[in-house]
Amino acid sequence: MKTSELLRLVFINITQNKFKTIMTSIGIIVGAATIVMVIAIGKGGQADVAEQFKNLNAGAIDISYEGEGTDSSSGSSSSESGGMPSGGGMPSGGSSSNGSSSSSSGGGGGMPSGGGPSGGGDSGGMQMFDFGSMFGSSSSMEDRINQEKVTLTEDDVDDITTFVGGISDATITFTTKSDIEGGELDEAASYTIAGVKSNYITISNLEMTVGDFITDSDDENKEKVCILGASVAKEIFGSAIDAYGSVIYIDSRLYVVNGVLEEMGSVASGISPDEAIFIPYDTGIKYLVGDDVNPTVTVIAEDVDNVDAVIEDVTNLLTESYPNTEFTYSDAGSKMEAASASNDILTMLLMAMAAIVFIVGGIGIMNVLFVSVKERTNEIGILKAIGGSQRSIMFEFLLEAAAISLIGGTLGLLVSLVVAPVAETLGASVLLTPSAFVIAMIFAVGTGTIFGIYPAYKASALVPVEALSAE
Amino acid sequence: MAIIELKNINKYYDAAGDEKLHVLKDINLEVQKGEYLAILGPSGSGKSTLMNIIGCMDHMSDGYYCLDGELIHEAKEKDLVRIRNEKIGFIFQKYHLIPTYNVLQNIVMPLLMRGMTLNEARERSVDTIDMLGLGQRITHKPNELSGGQQQRVAIARALVGEPAILLADEPTGALDRNSGLEVLKLFKRLNDMGNTIVMITHDADVATHAQRTVKIVDGEIFEL
Repeated sequence: MKTSELLRLVFINITQNKFKTIMTSIGIIVGAATIVMVIAIGKGGQADVAEQFKNLNAGAIDISYEGEGTDSSSGSSSSESGGMPSGGGMPSGGSSSNGSSSSSSGGGGGMPSGGGPSGGGDSGGMQMFDFGSMFGSSSSMEDRINQEKVTLTEDDVDDITTFVGGISDATITFTTKSDIEGGELDEAASYTIAGVKSNYITISNLEMTVGDFITDSDDENKEKVCILGASVAKEIFGSAIDAYGSVIYIDSRLYVVNGVLEEMGSVASGISPDEAIFIPYDTGIKYLVGDDVNPTVTVIAEDVDNVDAVIEDVTNLLTESYPNTEFTYSDAGSKMEAASASNDILTMLLMAMAAIVFIVGGIGIMNVLFVSVKERTNEIGILKAIGGSQRSIMFEFLLEAAAISLIGGTLGLLVSLVVAPVAETLGASVLLTPSAFVIAMIFAVGTGTIFGIYPAYKASALVPVEALSAE
Repeated sequence: MAIIELKNINKYYDAAGDEKLHVLKDINLEVQKGEYLAILGPSGSGKSTLMNIIGCMDHMSDGYYCLDGELIHEAKEKDLVRIRNEKIGFIFQKYHLIPTYNVLQNIVMPLLMRGMTLNEARERSVDTIDMLGLGQRITHKPNELSGGQQQRVAIARALVGEPAILLADEPTGALDRNSGLEVLKLFKRLNDMGNTIVMITHDADVATHAQRTVKIVDGEIFEL
């Protein structure tokens, strides 16, 4: 029998009993909709992860020193702690590294978080650095033998860019907290101040709403200019436009607002740009933090796969400058990996659920087809009597199963189009993609057809005489 | 020329215990081309089994069967499918139309099985449909037709393939007297047109419409 004629018969059979067709395909409808939703939620999760890390370059490596074990806000509020003002950078704070002579790479979040005082009270967290060098320190710690303070500098950045291969950019930043006055503020308020270089904007994937970012000459001349994060601009001036060209007082010194950043939203780590005020790095060193700075150097590896090698090279280089000093390395890639790995697990679980739904749906199809074969035993007998081959009868039933699942799959996709917005309003991140539709369709038709094989075989294997005499 | 040649056909069924049911006993039968034969027998005589064997729907236990040049006793199931389609036109007591398909689709089914398209098959069946007066009803479903009309659809289906024999199993059994007589008149006409007909019946009156009648009793065949 010609396939086109078989299809015509299948069409007749399916349209003849629409209700039965729909009932048969319910399992497939649910299954297809589930697959689409699972993939959509998975993709949504991925998009969420990407969103959270959008200010991080995948090749970014943050290098910081947290060996001092103290971490307090600096500048005007430094009275809070007797320890070294470290720029407030390390989320893990001083207490966690207390007594530890080293911090391992990737631990404890290396980006300056701008988070202000965290664990600043633990001023006893000092280590011994027998061969530590560089700056002397004014720390009051009594148990120190070598009162050395390790501070990364712009020279280190220059060294890294000069001697370490495979990096596309490097920069140095610090964060601190300071009191701000000006604009619509009734009284002084504490904000995160980030001292950054001109290339920070590209490294952190930031965009300007208005004005220009900090320039090299701002930095060299230690200009008192600043760039406001979107939320900061709104809080202090009401809008970005109002903020542009205005002045604020940082630690009672006047700064001109040279620009406002675009809103970035929440980010998983690093400086939250919406909430920060950016000033030239050297300006910050001169007027705000002085030598009591604990900056973070950020290096961008050209190739994400090369991050480990870059870390090794940087470590070797820094060991020459700072013998017996361990720095904390935190690379964005591994953080992103961890975040997407947990998202992948969720997706896997949902996929397993979808698979179960499909198996149940397939068994449903199989049951209905068995009943159908039973109902149509007589018809099968007739077809055999007038010369229908086993092959064409099996093919007809199989095509019917495939067609029913095709209908079910299509309806399932339509259902998912309705469910997706609902899920979104319920708070799930849903991202519908064409590939999800294709995969769901393949699964739907595949399941229906596979579970249709056995009933179809049963039908085709009936003995004509017996099939004909069946009532 | 003999179109059906049955020699020493035996058929056994496995029964309870070791016994075998001997349903057909050394059947010898010849049907000539253009003949109209009635096989008359009461129920349980083995006539249905004989009809199934003649119709290539059941296997004989042993014997020789030649249908229009095909050696059925040697044929494989795959060949039997083709032979049923090309050589035999079945007409059943209960019409056996497919309820979901309309009259036309039912009639052309044997031609579709041969690989024709619906249009080719429709062209081939126009004359048959007209002859049986079904032209007005080709889009009807079987359940919208009377018993006599349904049997005419079944006869049309049997005829479109231009088979070597028409094999009718109690063709009037489910019909009222008038419809039954019409079917028998139609058979006579088809036979006059040169069709070979083998009709199985339990009704001696019906059998009288045939040219020749053989009787089957307890699995044995007798010429009348």
